[in-house]
Formats: sequence, structure tokens, C-alpha cells
Amino acid sequence: MVRQTDRQAEPQSAAAGAGGDGKIDGRHLRSQRTRLRIIEGYLELAAEMSPLIPTAAQIAERAGCSARSVFERFPDIHSLQVAAVDHAVALIVPSPPPREGDGREARIRAQVESRSRSCQTWLPLWRSLIANQGDSTELRARVACLRQGVMDRLSAMYEPELSTVPEAERRRVLIILEALTDTESWARMREYFGLSTEEARATWHQAIDRLLPPTPAAP
Amino acid sequence: MPDSSATAGRQPDHSPTRSEERVDRRRLRSARTRQAIIEAYLALLRESQKIPTSTRIAERAGCSVRSIFERFIDLHALRVAATDFTFVQAAAQVLAVEPKGDCKTRIALHVESRARVCDYWLPLWRALIANQGDSLELKTRIELVREAILKRIEMVYQPELATLPERERRHVLIAIDSLIDFESWAKMREEHGLSFDDACAVWRYAIGRLLPTPVS
Repeated sequence: MVRQTDRQAEPQSAAAGAGGDGKIDGRHLRSQRTRLRIIEGYLELAAEMSPLIPTAAQIAERAGCSARSVFERFPDIHSLQVAAVDHAVALIVPSPPPREGDGREARIRAQVESRSRSCQTWLPLWRSLIANQGDSTELRARVACLRQGVMDRLSAMYEPELSTVPEAERRRVLIILEALTDTESWARMREYFGLSTEEARATWHQAIDRLLPPTPAAP
Repeated sequence: MPDSSATAGRQPDHSPTRSEERVDRRRLRSARTRQAIIEAYLALLRESQKIPTSTRIAERAGCSVRSIFERFIDLHALRVAATDFTFVQAAAQVLAVEPKGDCKTRIALHVESRARVCDYWLPLWRALIANQGDSLELKTRIELVREAILKRIEMVYQPELATLPERERRHVLIAIDSLIDFESWAKMREEHGLSFDDACAVWRYAIGRLLPTPVS
């Protein structure tokens, strides 16, 4: 998909007319829009080409701007990668917390569904991120943060079961559940084992049920 | 006619000629250099987790860059050869341990040997995954490794898996396979900072719970 050029895409100043401030605001707004298109262009290409990184020329073409415009907004591709990851993370809709009164079965089903959906959606970008993080502390920090998010979610969903075991065992179960529901684990079930979405979810469901400690009886 | 008394009782002479010996020695040296190049590639990969350049490999192997390309058409061919060498080494490492005994013992033996393979071969595995690109040779080898891991799980836990209906059995197999993946090991060691023994304990606990007869 080739987007419009800078000029075609931005024919009017947002604050057309009036004084200098208006001109500056309009320019700023256009620049922000171009920045966003570059990020979105990068994300689209990174997903399509995963795990390869798109070149500045490819990103510029997709964003409908010049390569110079890319480097005016990002000093290098790495900065663009970091901004793109932040943008993608901001778009993630947080899964709802467990509903009060939901039993073990319902909580496992809800967690498996939301996690599998997010793995399916983000797989190409996740692979690109993992393959290209290299020594980048910024990208590594974001990977760690995303994984921590998964751990926090697991911890919240299975609090009733996890609260019954000592801290060391709780940590152990969380590590296992995070590894089990990893994006690559999902990919392997779908790509290597050829499981349907439903079968893959059933595999996770069964495993989580076996791994969790018993649910305490309701008071 | 030759004097039969002179040759009587003698075995036919199969000793190599001098020129054959020279060729054999040359072949042996060449094979040793080839092996040194493969080992240098693997050692550098393990040290820096980055694909080594031909210059670095040559330096480490104690040969010239030209020597590398006399034995391997390109660095991709070297990667394939290094993968094959690793596969044989890792298989030997795994097969040296015979998983016998009750479920708990088999879990312990399986986890220990799988953990050793993951700890030692992780850098190569990562390089393999990162560089497979469109290479059919590397993709085939990745499949082979995965198949071998899966077959091993099936073999070690056959008594427990045999008690399950087909669908459930497949689910357990896939779950164990996911858990004992290279990257799952790497996460425990690198991100969660677990020691080798603690990481093994996590795997033992998980497999014990996934199998039909839970082992505490």
C-alpha cells in the first residue's frame, strides 16, 4: 500500500490563516501526523516482513513521505523501533480484571481467550522485536515490561489459587504459566502442530488447570 | 617365473605407498582444519551471541580466511555444518542418559539432560532461528531438532501418557514441549535469574503436574 505524499496528505494547515502561532501550530500538527504515519508504516512493514527490519526507504514509501522526513523525526531506525513499540503497547486494550464470583473454569477460559487473541495479533511484531532487540537496553526493557504485564495478569486472574501456596511455589507457578502462554508457544501450536485456534486454546486450558494449585473453597 | 619359495607364507603387501600416505595425511589435516573452523564458529557464537565474521573465525581456528572458503562455499554452508555437528553432539549428550525408573526419577533425568542441552546450545539455537531466513537446509534442521525433542518426551513419559485418551495425551505432549523449549530455559536463567538447579526444579514441578499421575 502506497500512501499519499507529504503534500497530498496535508493540503491544509490545521490552523490556516491568522498569526504566526497558528502557522507554527499547523506545522507542528502536520509534523506530528507525519510522525504517526511513519510509525504506523513501520509497524505494518515490520509485521509483514517479520523478523526483517524495513529500510528507511520502504518506511518512507509506505508512510508517503521522504526518507529525509523519517530521519528528521527519528535520528535512526532504532529510535523509530522504540517509538513504534511504545505506540503499539499504548494501543493494547487491557484485558478486564477477573469478575467477582467467577470460578476457576471461567477465569481460565477468560485468560486463555484474551492471551491467545493477543498472541495471534502481535505475533509478527513480537518476533520482529525479539529478533532485533540485540543489545538495545530500550528494547530489552520494553520486552521485560511486556512480559511483566503478562505475569501481573496471570497473578491477578489466578489469585485465589496462588494465594494458597507459599511465595516460592507461587513464583514457580507464575514462571511456568508465563512460559506456557508465551507468544512463541502459541505460534508453535498453530504453525508447527497445526492446531486450530480452539484446539490450541483447549491445550492451554488443560495445562493451566493442571498446573494451578487447587481452588480454595468459598468461605 | 618368480621364485615361489621366496614369497611362500607371505601376506600380500597392502601397506600404503609413500604418495598414498602423503594424500592421507593431507586429508586428515584438512579434516582437522574443517573441524577447527566449525568449533571456532561455535565458540565465538557462544561468547558473543553474534554471528562471527570469517576473519574472526579464521583467527580463532588458527587458519586463513581462504582456508575457510576452501572448505565451505560460504558462511551459510559453515552454519549448516555447525548445526549438523551440534545436532550429533547434543543427541549423544541426551542419549547417554537412559531414562529408567519411576516417574519422578525419569522426570529428574529428562529435565537434567534437557537443561544441559539448553544451557550449552542456546546460542547456536538462537543463531539458527535468527538466520534460518528462507534456507530450506536450516529449516529442515530446526524441524529435526523439534521432532527429536518431542519423540524424547513421548518415549520418557510413555507409561504415563499411555493412560490418557488421544486428545488429552496430545495436549500434554504439546504443553511439555512448550515448557522445555530453549527460550523457556533462557527466560528462567536470564530474566528470572534462576540458578541451573532452581530452573531444573521449576521444570520438574511443571512436568510432574502436567502428567496424569502428579508427582510432588
